[in-house]
Amino acid sequence: MKREKAKATRTRFSPVMIAMCVILCLYVISLILPFAWGFINSFKSRLDFLHNSIGLPEQWVWNYGTVFKHFRVMITNDKVGQKFVTLPAMFGNAILYSLGSAIVSAIVPCMTAYLCARFRYKFSNVMYNIVIITMILPIIGNGPARIQITRAIGLYDSIWGMWIINAGFTGLYFLVFYNVFKSLPKDFTDAAKIDGANNLQIVLRVALPVVRNALLTIILIKFIEFWNDYQTPLVYMPSYPTVAYGLHLMEKTTENAMNTVPMRMAASMIMFLPIIIVFLVLQKRLLGNLMVGGLKG
Amino acid sequence: MDEKQQLATKLVASRKKMSSRGSKRDLAFYSVFMIWPVLHFCVFYIAINFNSLLLTFQKIDLASGATTWTLFGNLGTALNRIFTNPELVEAFGNSLLAYFVPLVIATPLALLFSYYVYKKMPLAGLFRVMLFLPSIISAIIMSVIFKFFVDSAIPEFVSLITGGNKTIEGMMANPNTRFGTIMFYNIWGCFGVNCLMYVNSMNDIPPEQVEAAHLDGATGFKEFWYISLPNVFSTLATFLIAGVAGLFTNQFNLFNFYGDAAPAGLTTYGYWMYKQTLYAASSPAQMPIVAAMGIWMTLVAVPLTLAVRKLFDKFGPSAE
Repeated sequence: MKREKAKATRTRFSPVMIAMCVILCLYVISLILPFAWGFINSFKSRLDFLHNSIGLPEQWVWNYGTVFKHFRVMITNDKVGQKFVTLPAMFGNAILYSLGSAIVSAIVPCMTAYLCARFRYKFSNVMYNIVIITMILPIIGNGPARIQITRAIGLYDSIWGMWIINAGFTGLYFLVFYNVFKSLPKDFTDAAKIDGANNLQIVLRVALPVVRNALLTIILIKFIEFWNDYQTPLVYMPSYPTVAYGLHLMEKTTENAMNTVPMRMAASMIMFLPIIIVFLVLQKRLLGNLMVGGLKG
Repeated sequence: MDEKQQLATKLVASRKKMSSRGSKRDLAFYSVFMIWPVLHFCVFYIAINFNSLLLTFQKIDLASGATTWTLFGNLGTALNRIFTNPELVEAFGNSLLAYFVPLVIATPLALLFSYYVYKKMPLAGLFRVMLFLPSIISAIIMSVIFKFFVDSAIPEFVSLITGGNKTIEGMMANPNTRFGTIMFYNIWGCFGVNCLMYVNSMNDIPPEQVEAAHLDGATGFKEFWYISLPNVFSTLATFLIAGVAGLFTNQFNLFNFYGDAAPAGLTTYGYWMYKQTLYAASSPAQMPIVAAMGIWMTLVAVPLTLAVRKLFDKFGPSAE
């Protein structure tokens, strides 16, 4: 089947395709070049970079150790007063924020989609329509109101608060799960019921295994998204800087040793490393399953 | 016979009893697990948007934080700012450019590149991975590296290849090239992930459809135009419809490059709104104006989104 499909989709390597190949090669080079440049420059001293920003380092300097040891950001607010947060602490915050948020933001839509797809109550249609409407209607400028509400209910400026904020069911991933559960034959769950399984057991033993791949991929995509996001933590959890947040603040640092291009390149590479490892290990799962805003079922 | 009938009646009654017990259990299970999503929606969608509406009619005192009510004061001030505040006046043109230029350049390119990868042309596997890469790299890393690259490496490279005869200013440091460079960055770094979605949609095209087109003599461009494009149209339409709100939310990556201090001439509505939200976190007196600004923008974005959706429904091609 795969071979048939490949044969059917194959086409001649025409001049237009050659031109596209050249453009794509240039694009790939343009993507690699700045990162290679950044990587090489992360091993330079400040003076070496000033005199020679495109060549190899005159002397290779291990800036990574310096960044890991000495990079810290100062947080000043009413909650914590004044405190310094080190890079390892930023990694800790980033892992807690990204992992927790990724898990809840994948599981809640999954469970809600299961309920809507398998239980034919009128309320299920209401929930489905809510998802569609919230996706179509853009609401702009509700940031201040969100800050007020999260403050009022005690979720502002905490990592667990962000988990709760992110534990919503709306969005495209609900539809991905909904379609999978809807297409699941009724016999699957009926058979489990006859065997004496209750609803929770059916979810755990029948429904979740069916969407396991999609669920894991969504958790992965969400993890990357939250790991890279610094603008939300900047507004909603200012006392708990993540690595991306720290990198943003690095530009404002007044510590001379840190405020150099090679140091910033080293910090960028340190932040980039975990994500590129995750990507290289799990690229098949990510690339193969990605469809518009979601995944193949 | 009577006994048999009695037995059958008993069986039906017991099944009914079981099923009613089952449906009660179902309802209980459904209700318990629905509590969280409903509660979350009530707080984080309904209450927040309702509060945003209330904020529009409030004034918050800078010193005491006391709230008073105003009828259309904030809405009037917001509208006035949109048309008279120099930063917001320039944001209008910049937001339009930040929305339309990437759309016009990146969308056709993304579709063509997707077609190349879908056809499994040479190096398609490598391109597929590389096109996806920018979407997993944090915008802050990409922009930090890009900024120093165009400001340090490119001028030095130009100087090197001209033997020191020509020196150029950094492309983001130079006010004349700054906007163009940021526009390039926005196109360069954004279209990869769309590409991948189009490729995956194209992979779902039935091989029989492609074979039939080949038998009818369709080659490269015709196949792309009549088979591939209609099949990815729903994906494309989703991006374009969802992207309409981008007119007001696209930050043009300015915050990544400059934090809250972007040079004059670059601001977009999205950047301005995010900056004001950030300020509002520490200074609540700002909140009502930002909320009022959001109401105006929503009033434009909602009908615009629905109109674009209707246009696609009416004039979009069919995959049939």
